[in-house]
Amino acid sequence: MQVPTTDILQKVFSEVLANLAFMFPDDSKPELNPEHEWLETTIRYEGPHVATLRLWCTRPFSILLALNLLDVDPRSEDSAPKGEDAVKELINVLGGQLVTTLHGTQDVFSLTIPEIRLLPQPPDETVLDGSMVVRLSIENHSLCLAYQSVDR
Amino acid sequence: MAKNLLIVDDSATIRGMLRRAITIMGLDVGEVYEAANGIEALAQLADHSVAAVITDINMPTMNGIELIKRMKANPHLKHIPLVVATTDGSQQRIDEMRQYGACGYIRKPFQPEQIRDALKPLFGVKDNAGTDDGHLAEGLF
Repeated sequence: MQVPTTDILQKVFSEVLANLAFMFPDDSKPELNPEHEWLETTIRYEGPHVATLRLWCTRPFSILLALNLLDVDPRSEDSAPKGEDAVKELINVLGGQLVTTLHGTQDVFSLTIPEIRLLPQPPDETVLDGSMVVRLSIENHSLCLAYQSVDR
Repeated sequence: MAKNLLIVDDSATIRGMLRRAITIMGLDVGEVYEAANGIEALAQLADHSVAAVITDINMPTMNGIELIKRMKANPHLKHIPLVVATTDGSQQRIDEMRQYGACGYIRKPFQPEQIRDALKPLFGVKDNAGTDDGHLAEGLF
């Protein structure tokens, strides 16, 4: 097993965004915008090792992601659910890639179905200050990804 | 003659991406049906004739492995080629899917070319990725 680090998390996260959605992180550090609705999406993998991934992004980012994946019209009535579905698929792919990066391809892991919940405000900065959290910026949208091993 | 396909994935995003990839790849595709899980897939297969099924594994209600098992146990469905499109990269899981009868594997995130290469032999298209010498195209077992 490769020991998870923020560098690995950031690399896998960036590669998945590029390969799945043709999105590339930039060097800006936008604030966690309190004016937007935020989405918290969670997935867990279970096998010889167990871990939870949580991804935070804004509603506008989710719609931008759906636009990149499917040419969704951001003004359409169903852009919000399509954005949520796109974010779920993003964390699903991310989970699968992270499992093989950290644990190889010999062991079998199960991924849970991604769950999403709405947050009325940005995620708590104290949570994001953890050592296994990475923040990326894409077109002035902040993304936060947290990895938590629950191995005992 | 155009061949129909069935896409099975709980993500409408992935179904849309696969549909778009299939549409642009130049194969003689007829109708493209969709299902969000194994139960919906079996219902679609009861109503429509398809030449191949592309299915995810990790789905609620009925997952892809159970769908493959049900199809292979059904004399009317067991001949339909199955290609698995999944985030799962475990070699043991891939071997398991092959043993159950899947004929191809595409790992997400995929590029449209991977979908095309996996489906070409199923459409009888032979080229440098084809099966003239019995060599399977990339993405096929």
